[in-house]
Amino acid sequence: MSFPATRREFLKVLGATSLVSLNGLPPRCLSAALVDDRARPDQRVLVLIQLAGGNDGLNTVVPYAEDAYRRARPALAIGEGSVLKLNEQFGLHPSLTGLRKLWDAGRLGIVHGVGYPHPDRSHFRSMDIWHTANPDVTQPQTGWVGRTLDVSAESSHGLREAVAIGLDRLPLALVGNRVVSPMIKNLDAFRLNEPEGKSPLRTTAWQQAASANSDAGSELDFLRRSAAASLASADRLKSLGKTYNSSVDYPSTGLAQRLRLVAQMIAAELPARIYFVSLDGFDTHAQQLPGHAALLSELSEAVSAFVADLEEHALSQRVLTATFSEFGRRLAENGSLGTDHGAASSLFVVSPNRGGMFGQPPSLSDLDDGDPKFTTDFRRVYAAFLENWLQVDAAPALGGQFAPLDCV
Amino acid sequence: MSDASLAPLSPHSFDREAAAHLLRRLQFGVRPDEIERALAEGLDATLERLLTVQPESAEFQRGEAALRQTAYAASSIVSLKSWWLYRMLHSSNALREKLTLLWHNHFATSYAKVNNVPQMAAQNDLFRRHAAGDFHELLHAVARDPAMLVWLDGNANRRRHPNENFAREVMELFALGIGNYTEHDIQEAARAFTGWQLRDGAFWFNAAQHDAGTKTVFGKSGQFEGNAIIDLCLEHPACPRFLALKILRMFVTDQPVESLIAKVAAALTRSKLNVKPALRELFASAEFFAPEHRVGLIKSPVDLVVGTLRTSATRITLPAAAEVLARLGQDLFEPPTVKGWEGGRQWMQTSTWILRWNFATELIDGRGNLATLRSELWSDGKDQPDAWELAYLGRVQPEVRASIAMHWESTASMTAEERARSVLRFLWTLPEYQLG
Repeated sequence: MSFPATRREFLKVLGATSLVSLNGLPPRCLSAALVDDRARPDQRVLVLIQLAGGNDGLNTVVPYAEDAYRRARPALAIGEGSVLKLNEQFGLHPSLTGLRKLWDAGRLGIVHGVGYPHPDRSHFRSMDIWHTANPDVTQPQTGWVGRTLDVSAESSHGLREAVAIGLDRLPLALVGNRVVSPMIKNLDAFRLNEPEGKSPLRTTAWQQAASANSDAGSELDFLRRSAAASLASADRLKSLGKTYNSSVDYPSTGLAQRLRLVAQMIAAELPARIYFVSLDGFDTHAQQLPGHAALLSELSEAVSAFVADLEEHALSQRVLTATFSEFGRRLAENGSLGTDHGAASSLFVVSPNRGGMFGQPPSLSDLDDGDPKFTTDFRRVYAAFLENWLQVDAAPALGGQFAPLDCV
Repeated sequence: MSDASLAPLSPHSFDREAAAHLLRRLQFGVRPDEIERALAEGLDATLERLLTVQPESAEFQRGEAALRQTAYAASSIVSLKSWWLYRMLHSSNALREKLTLLWHNHFATSYAKVNNVPQMAAQNDLFRRHAAGDFHELLHAVARDPAMLVWLDGNANRRRHPNENFAREVMELFALGIGNYTEHDIQEAARAFTGWQLRDGAFWFNAAQHDAGTKTVFGKSGQFEGNAIIDLCLEHPACPRFLALKILRMFVTDQPVESLIAKVAAALTRSKLNVKPALRELFASAEFFAPEHRVGLIKSPVDLVVGTLRTSATRITLPAAAEVLARLGQDLFEPPTVKGWEGGRQWMQTSTWILRWNFATELIDGRGNLATLRSELWSDGKDQPDAWELAYLGRVQPEVRASIAMHWESTASMTAEERARSVLRFLWTLPEYQLG
């Protein structure tokens, strides 16, 4: 086990043994912070993996038995002999061996035909829609995760933070009216620089001052609590950095390394409960086969390593991982051995135990301007993540009622 | 409507702590010598000085001009951030820079879309020119400001008519706030704004595109053009309230109570939306100095970085300081959304707490990549830590005073410089130091 299980060990990590011996009682504020901040074992985490560019769902979850699929894609169709068969109708792209294992373990959910009415085939516009959960808003300013946090951060045990990893701009999904989520590239963002032997934060005098009584609800009270929580987080991560052992060999790919960071942050019980990472390159207009295969391989290997790592640290019951993309791609291949922007597509949900297929696979003959029609509104998937998994109200995020899909 | 007004602070209440509080709010950080000066001059004279534009030194003018020139010549937003930071650090008119920042946040426009350094600089100059002035003039000027027009044009959605977007921004974000207009008001206002365009980087009224018919907005009818809509917004009773809220969240408390908002709104109404008289009333009021308001703000990244550097450091590397601001969540000229920076508790997250502590460490123990501590801090021969406690933290609880004293005692055998560094490190890492 890599994180302190007992309170004594925990306080040792804080470097606060002297604090404990003072009066025999830890200051009220500090102990309150311990209760509030450490994610309780039953607190759940959501990890979002954005597949940027428009992932070709039809070559990912392949309807290998359908004639319409083969006829529309003479060059690009994945043949029955190549797919990793899941059932009589669908198989996974051959690169997705890791996801296939998760399927066999009953942990891979596949939601078919996810989209929204009047699909927009502009990257920019459609990604905004997925990020804001609002196809009608004309000038998107906030995202579904940001709006959720705006409301849930009010409650003291609620979701307070989300983290975006490995991006240059905070994704719109995480932008709230009030909440500011950090973007981090590596764990340096949580590395407290303390001069050797001179850090005031560890002295009795400082800790006494930092945990003095304050008026409940005052800004000073908030500052003292959040300071204590942040210090505890930094120490946990530092301690974890030294002791974080994993027999899992993460691939050296970008996505795998980012998910490894996520695993460490979850293991350190940081207050963040929503993590956002992205894998780019899915806009496969030309020469799709090799590029797409490589991307799906990266996805599969990274997610496998991540799940195995969480499993090793007894955390996998707490984590839900899902992919999404701004749209799928057209049924028909184009003249450059690629596919063009589409609409509805499938997505993956990796959960502790709810594998299987959800939603209605779209028809490949009754198309919407050459694209499969959506059968599940993506907001129902978000509702499932928020209400069924994170157990928070989805209304702030979605601006309305959407029945959560039972994929979670 | 309430007639309640702000009550003036009684003169004998303007003690050392009150002076420190006033300066901390109206400046970026406060030094002990500045507190003594304000105490000696008294509240009225100090306010008169801070609210009146003072001449800048020749050195400042040279430095400011050189940085502006660099930013323009290289078309570099990084350099423009350095330019503004220089102004905040060295201007004789700190309040004017704070107000410029308030308007930058209020009319949040981002370089990320405008993508033009001279336009961003011109908008910044506009905010500064009207910083404590007449909000009528400011709003009219902003509505035609090229950076604003590019920003809103660039944000023009793809479904609705662009000017409906503009009408909505003016009402929702600039003048009234949500809930004080109807969708019909917006649609009618949008008709009034037809013909308002951007051409060759400047405002242009295209009469041929203008809908000259009669519109009804806020129950009033007329053949309104865009300027008339702006005037209607300025006359709307929600306008002074909206401004009052912004002013209070910048200078007094993150969570102002209704009665306080009403009093400041009344002051703004009396001053016909002239900011300076209303500010004078506010800063001279008992309410401003109320105990809960002295601890009612959390430092923004600018408050923290500029305040600490201005009072305590020299040889400041401006781009490095701008980078710290960005990492703390307040990237100048690049607000995250049209709503600007929410501020308050949102500044404090796990990662930003760590960054704020690391900022202090960098100043005290660093090799000078960001800045160098001023040696006057330990070479001025003054005994501490009381003056530092007041300047950096304000009034603190007895337990905290005792802790600071304990730490001071524990440093008795150190050299003056080591002792100063140790105590500053102690003070700058306390939660109190994050109060504005």
